Amino acid sequence: MNGRIMQSAKQKVIVEGLWHNNPVFRQVLGICSTLAVTNLVLNTVVMCVALIFTLSLSAASVSVLRKLTPRNIRMMVETLIIAFYVIIVDVLLKAYWPEMSSNLGPYVGLIITNCIVMGRCEAYGNSNPPSLAFLDGLFNALGYSFVLLIIATFREVLGMGTFLGFSVPYFSGPNWDKWIVMVMPPGAFFMLAVVTWIFRSVQSRKEQS
Amino acid sequence: MIKEKKWFPVIYMFLVTALLSSIVIGFTQFTSNRVEANRKLAFEKAVLAVLPGLSDEKEKATGLQLHLRFAEKVNEPDDYSAGAYTLIGSGKIIAYALPISGRGFWAPIKGIIGIEADRKTITAIAFYQQNETPGLGAEITKPEFRDQFKGKVMRMGEKLLSFERPGTKLDKNSVHALTGATQTSTRLETIINDALKKWQQQLGDGLDRN
Repeated sequence: MNGRIMQSAKQKVIVEGLWHNNPVFRQVLGICSTLAVTNLVLNTVVMCVALIFTLSLSAASVSVLRKLTPRNIRMMVETLIIAFYVIIVDVLLKAYWPEMSSNLGPYVGLIITNCIVMGRCEAYGNSNPPSLAFLDGLFNALGYSFVLLIIATFREVLGMGTFLGFSVPYFSGPNWDKWIVMVMPPGAFFMLAVVTWIFRSVQSRKEQS
Repeated sequence: MIKEKKWFPVIYMFLVTALLSSIVIGFTQFTSNRVEANRKLAFEKAVLAVLPGLSDEKEKATGLQLHLRFAEKVNEPDDYSAGAYTLIGSGKIIAYALPISGRGFWAPIKGIIGIEADRKTITAIAFYQQNETPGLGAEITKPEFRDQFKGKVMRMGEKLLSFERPGTKLDKNSVHALTGATQTSTRLETIINDALKKWQQQLGDGLDRN
C-alpha cells in the first residue's frame, strides 16, 4: 500500500468510527454497557478507557495473527484474545483501584461480550493490516465513548445535580427538583433514545444537503 | 504447507490458549497479594472509621499507616465482645466495632457498626463492600447518610433502630432512609437490626455464663 492510499484509509477509518458508522447510535451495538454504566460520569470514563484499551489492542492482535489463524476457528481465537485483554483490565482495577472495581461490578468482565469488540475484529481486524486495525478499534471505541459521556453527563447532572461528583450550581440547588428517574435504569433508555434521535437526524440532514 | 494439515487448527488453538493464559496467570499471581491486601485494608479502614478517635475523614493516611494503626489499637473479637472488634483504653472497653452483613438490593452489603461502651449508643457506621445502584442505593457509603447514625440509641423492642421516610421528624432511635432507594434502605434496616439483636443476645448469654 502506498502512502496516499494509506493516508486516505486512515481518514476513512477515523470518520467512520466516530460518526458515519458510530457503534452506538448508528450500529446500535454495545447497548448493554451503555445503559448500565452511564449514571455516573466517573464510572463511564473508566468503562470507556477499559473499552478503548481492549478494543484497539484486540483488533490489532487479531490482525497480527490474521494470516496464521485458520478460518474455521477464527472466532474462538478472537474471543480468546478479547478475554485476555479484558482480564488484564479487570485484574489491574482490582489491584490498583479497588473502589472503582466494585463500582463497575460485573461490567468490566462483560466487555468480553460487548458486540462492538467482536464486531470490529470480525469486520475489520480480520482483513486489514495491524496499524489500520488498531486505528479502527481505537476510533470505534472513541465513538462509543463520546456518546456514553454525553449520556452520562445529562444523567448525572439532571438526576443528581453533580458532575464527576462535584455539585453543579443550579442543578444541586433547591430550585431544581432532581429527576431521580434519570439515574435509575429507565433514564438510560430515555437518554439513549434522545441522543440516537438527535444524531441520526443530524446525519440524515447532512446526507440530503 | 503446514496450514493445510488437519491437525493445525487444534495445535494452533492450543498454543494461543497456552500463551495467553500463562500471561494472565502470571499477571494474576503478580497482583494477587495486592488484591488480597486491598480487600483486607477496606475492612480495616471500615473498622477504624467507626471506632472513636482512630480516623479522620480529611486525613490522608496511607494504606500501611492505617494497617499499622489497626494492628496496634484494635483488639480481635473474643467471647466477651460477641464477635465485635474492640477498642480498649486503660483496661476498659471504649467501643465495639461489630461487623454486619446481609443481602442488599443487588449484592451483599458488608459493613461495620460502632457501638459505645454502654452497648446502646451508636458511634458510627461504615461499609466496605456493597454493589447498590450508583447514585441511589450506593449513597449509603456517603457521609451524608452515615453521619446520621452518630449518637443514635438502640431502643428496647422489635426494632432497635428504625429508618424513617426522608423529611419526617426523627427521634433518637431513627434515621432517614435514602430517597429513591427503598429496597436498599429496607434491606439495610433489616441487616442492622438483625445484627444488633443477635449481638445483644450473645452479649447477654455471655453475661449469664459469668
